[in-house]
Amino acid sequence: MLAFIVHRLLSTAVVMAIVAVFIFLLLHLSPGDPAAIIVGDNATQLQIDAVRKQLGLDDPLAVQFVRWLAGVFKGDLGVSIFSHQPVGKLIGERIEPTVSLALTTLLLAVIIAVSFGVLAAWKVGTWIDRFVMVLSVLSFSVPVFVVGYLLIYVFSIKLGWLPVQGYSPIAEGFGTWIRHLILPSIALGLAYVALIARITRTAMLDVLSEDYIRTARAKGVAMGPVLMKHALKNAGVPIVTVIGIGIALLIGGVVITETVFNIPGVGRLVVDAISQRDYPIIQGVTLIFSGVYVIVNLMVDISYTLLDPRIRY
Amino acid sequence: MATSRRTFVKGTAAAAAAVSAPGLLKAQSAPTKARTVRAVLHGDLKIFDPIWTTANMTGNHGLLVYDTLFGLDDARNVQPQMVDKWGISDDKKTYTFILRDGLKFHDGQAVTSADAVASVRRWAARDGAAQHMFKRVADTPVKDDKTFQIVLKEPYGLVLEALGKIETNLPVIMRKKDAETDPNQQVTTKVGSGPFMFNEEETKSGQRYVYDKFSGYAPRKEPASGMVGGKIAKVDRVIIENMADEQTAVAALKAGEIDFYEIPPIDLLDQLESDKNIKLDILNKGGNVGMCRLNWLHPPFDKVEARQAMLHLIKQEDILKAVFGNPKYYRSCASLFACTGQMQSDVNTEWFKGGQNIAKARELFKKAGYDGRPVVILQATNIAFMNNASLLVAQWLKEAGVNAELAASDWGAVVARRAVKKPVAEGGWNIFITWGSGEGFDNPIGFVAHTANGEAGWFGWPKDDLHEKLRDDWALATTLEERKAVARKLQENAWSYVPMALLGQWAPPVARRTNVSGFIPIPAHVPFWNVEKT
Amino acid sequence: MVDAAGTQSLAPSRAASRARVWRFVRRNPTLVIGLVILGLMLLAALAAPWVAGDPYSMKPVQRFLPPSDTFWFGTDNLGRDVYARTIYGARVSLAVGLSVAILAVSVGLAIGVLAGFFRPVEILVMRLMDGLMAIPAILLAIALISLFKGSVGVVIIAIVVPEVPRVARLVRSVVLTTREQPYVEAAIASGTRLRRILLRHILPSTFSPLIVQATYICASAILIEAGLSFLGAGTPPEIPTWGNMIASSRVYLARAPWTVFCPGVALALVVLAVNLVGDGLRDSLDPRIARRM
Repeated sequence: MLAFIVHRLLSTAVVMAIVAVFIFLLLHLSPGDPAAIIVGDNATQLQIDAVRKQLGLDDPLAVQFVRWLAGVFKGDLGVSIFSHQPVGKLIGERIEPTVSLALTTLLLAVIIAVSFGVLAAWKVGTWIDRFVMVLSVLSFSVPVFVVGYLLIYVFSIKLGWLPVQGYSPIAEGFGTWIRHLILPSIALGLAYVALIARITRTAMLDVLSEDYIRTARAKGVAMGPVLMKHALKNAGVPIVTVIGIGIALLIGGVVITETVFNIPGVGRLVVDAISQRDYPIIQGVTLIFSGVYVIVNLMVDISYTLLDPRIRY
Repeated sequence: MATSRRTFVKGTAAAAAAVSAPGLLKAQSAPTKARTVRAVLHGDLKIFDPIWTTANMTGNHGLLVYDTLFGLDDARNVQPQMVDKWGISDDKKTYTFILRDGLKFHDGQAVTSADAVASVRRWAARDGAAQHMFKRVADTPVKDDKTFQIVLKEPYGLVLEALGKIETNLPVIMRKKDAETDPNQQVTTKVGSGPFMFNEEETKSGQRYVYDKFSGYAPRKEPASGMVGGKIAKVDRVIIENMADEQTAVAALKAGEIDFYEIPPIDLLDQLESDKNIKLDILNKGGNVGMCRLNWLHPPFDKVEARQAMLHLIKQEDILKAVFGNPKYYRSCASLFACTGQMQSDVNTEWFKGGQNIAKARELFKKAGYDGRPVVILQATNIAFMNNASLLVAQWLKEAGVNAELAASDWGAVVARRAVKKPVAEGGWNIFITWGSGEGFDNPIGFVAHTANGEAGWFGWPKDDLHEKLRDDWALATTLEERKAVARKLQENAWSYVPMALLGQWAPPVARRTNVSGFIPIPAHVPFWNVEKT
Repeated sequence: MVDAAGTQSLAPSRAASRARVWRFVRRNPTLVIGLVILGLMLLAALAAPWVAGDPYSMKPVQRFLPPSDTFWFGTDNLGRDVYARTIYGARVSLAVGLSVAILAVSVGLAIGVLAGFFRPVEILVMRLMDGLMAIPAILLAIALISLFKGSVGVVIIAIVVPEVPRVARLVRSVVLTTREQPYVEAAIASGTRLRRILLRHILPSTFSPLIVQATYICASAILIEAGLSFLGAGTPPEIPTWGNMIASSRVYLARAPWTVFCPGVALALVVLAVNLVGDGLRDSLDPRIARRM
């Protein structure tokens, strides 16, 4: 097991290197010039060229890449072309909102979805099954931003129960922190309820038809504990996989939610950086995220062994 | 050159220490909500050097944190701001300026003429209007701590107007050591002598930018008027929030989470108008004018007939209605100098009075020898005006028999591609859509889109020697009547050779909560002095 | 049905096939409903040039007309016919959904099976998949769209690339579980050829979760396209897709709800239908479920 983990961590480095090169090339080869954006709309070509030179953007790509990579190894992700703030500092400032949003969303989605999925699997074929499944599908067929606007309209403007937008750090009070996260979590979480619910249902159905479950039923063991102890545990593998995938998806979905609800997270940071072609930020964030994904997936793989002892590495 | 994280942090700490050292200059505790104005403007504030960039958001920052030597009052006359007394020599070649008493920078140092001269020289290295003037400047000697001069080689009519311009690049006054930064590099400190101080600690880049009232500011005695007069800060704190989503900003305004929104979408104005707590004002009467820049370097717009065809092709009313909906906030305008300023006229505008004439456009394209090649329009899909205008222009071109092709991308990619001078097939372009401020259009010298010096000029690269000569004449004219006459000549010539096509003028309102008032109407920027919250 | 004389009698056979169809519908209601809805959508999409009007023509003077006899779904902010755009939008949205699903599933399946079964492939490829998931889809979309000129094909590729790793991971997890099953171990022990094992034992166990995943991907692709349009990186705005119609009209939600409502309902219907089909297929393919029903 330990060897497995060490091995995976080593290959992480390789992966991140590949990602780094890919992102760097993608950015620098696609059109868009941060120098032209910095100097403003009414600047002349001469001014743009001078800024490019000064930012080192005219140096050969290999040189720029090595320069950046050298910095990364020293723990320095570079400095934003626009705001001159260190990329590490910018990411650090904005990690808390994104993680908060991701956690509350995932929690909400998992609780609702797993309950739906178990219920549907247990009552498979009945109208409860169909109703639950249709409900979860409907919840995911409206785009996140439309759900967001509708929620804001109903709960913030009409009823005034919850704030329209913004984020309150947890240090400033748990109550306000949660209040700002309720609507965004619902808007974003609904999309994942369907995915997680149906995978849960499928996995549960597979397990429920296993022989040992039928035996337990035949023996008259109460279904409740049977479901909880055996079925859920063995259905764990695909469920956990999907949750892992869900975390990955969240980073993408979080971008839209952060824009609609004006949450100052890393998603918006990257989107703003992309439209400005602020290369250091885009490169730095992507690099960090590739590391996060690898670690998350590692934890998912480890949890496989805990859930299903037949899987061994 | 990347600064390492540690040195940057040290640097910031040092800067923060420098600002906070004189105790009286720093706010003791966070001001209450009642004394704080939260505003959402039209973009994010990324660059803090108003001399270096033409970005309008930086102009807003400039007006908060810095002060200028001169400015325009609400009658659009140039008035002194940081300058106390000034005079011109008899031969009109030497301007002498004496600064006011009591001017201080946010770090406690007094403002001296050395700071002023260094800032003006830096500004002259960056700004088009300044460069036009400085071709004729011999020297800028510092006479004493409060006195300096601008000595010209020959008389120039626009010295004060240039120093008092409201358009970016703003001629703000920085500390000498900041102003001496290489003009090609941004100044990253935010120390000025304006009515507000930048609060580095509370600011979070990309989210909110915090400004505290500068208690050491010495306002002029006159009432505030336009960019000048007594700039009294009546609130303790101004927070500029970066809110990318328009619907969310409107909702936040209605819920009272923000106090001011600069660009409410026009189609949502009905909602806001019916809300008792919200008021709409037009601060910027000059608004903006849409431009359809044509690429002179390659066919078909290298031929004057093709460019003239565009004048008959475009129906400004349609574009304006599509984007802005409510005619209260827009107008068609045929003048080269916008329709809200002093240089406007209707000379040589028969093409406009005749209305949209696709048949005539088709004929003109044929005359220009148009051979059916694709005409590429750079379409910035993330900006509503540019997006919709491009769609309509493409539709009309197709109706006129032109093979119009839309190259959809975001504005960043458009900005990069419009700089390409190569032919279309090699990554060039024929048309791109943008806009400029109504104020800017009224100024043949200060506005970069009015140049016609070919490839050394602004994107589109129109070339016309008579136009350039007339621009010089305009700058050297000494009375308003003379300038108007030259402007008429400029327009008459321009609509014959057609540098670009215009797409109409619009002046959208800002939205504020009724308990926040005192916004002074000036073009292009939002000033926060005089604003109070009840 | 052939009677003793060897001739076919038509009437009973028609009744028999009708009965068979009815039985099929009764046993798989979800599948049938889903197929019907999808079928209607496809028909509408194919018949667009005859059924719908002109989706492109802009006449700003007739902007924001509510639904009426001339404009069944009203007009949008540029005066375009929302009904025409919704019907034409079906073409692109369905094409995007189906292409992404098919591409992502095929590539992901191949990678996942190989990775689940062969150690060296897993080590190399799965780490690459992990890295690929890190790249924000929007960055990829904007970059690809600016490199290759915005078009439906580019958007499809931009959505497929981040989906492939997810499919691969799911397939791999199923393969890992299946590999340990007694019948697979038995097959390996008895010397069955690898190809046979793969085709007969491993692949079929992936079908069930894959079908579910494929339907999700199809629906999600249509939604992602809407999200990309929201962020300004979707299909070029003149081409009507439900995604970019909703995204560009969202500002007018309160003022002209039909501009968002019509493509929105169409989108929700298709997503529902796709999921019903997936559900139905899965339920009828899996013998264990069929038995329980």
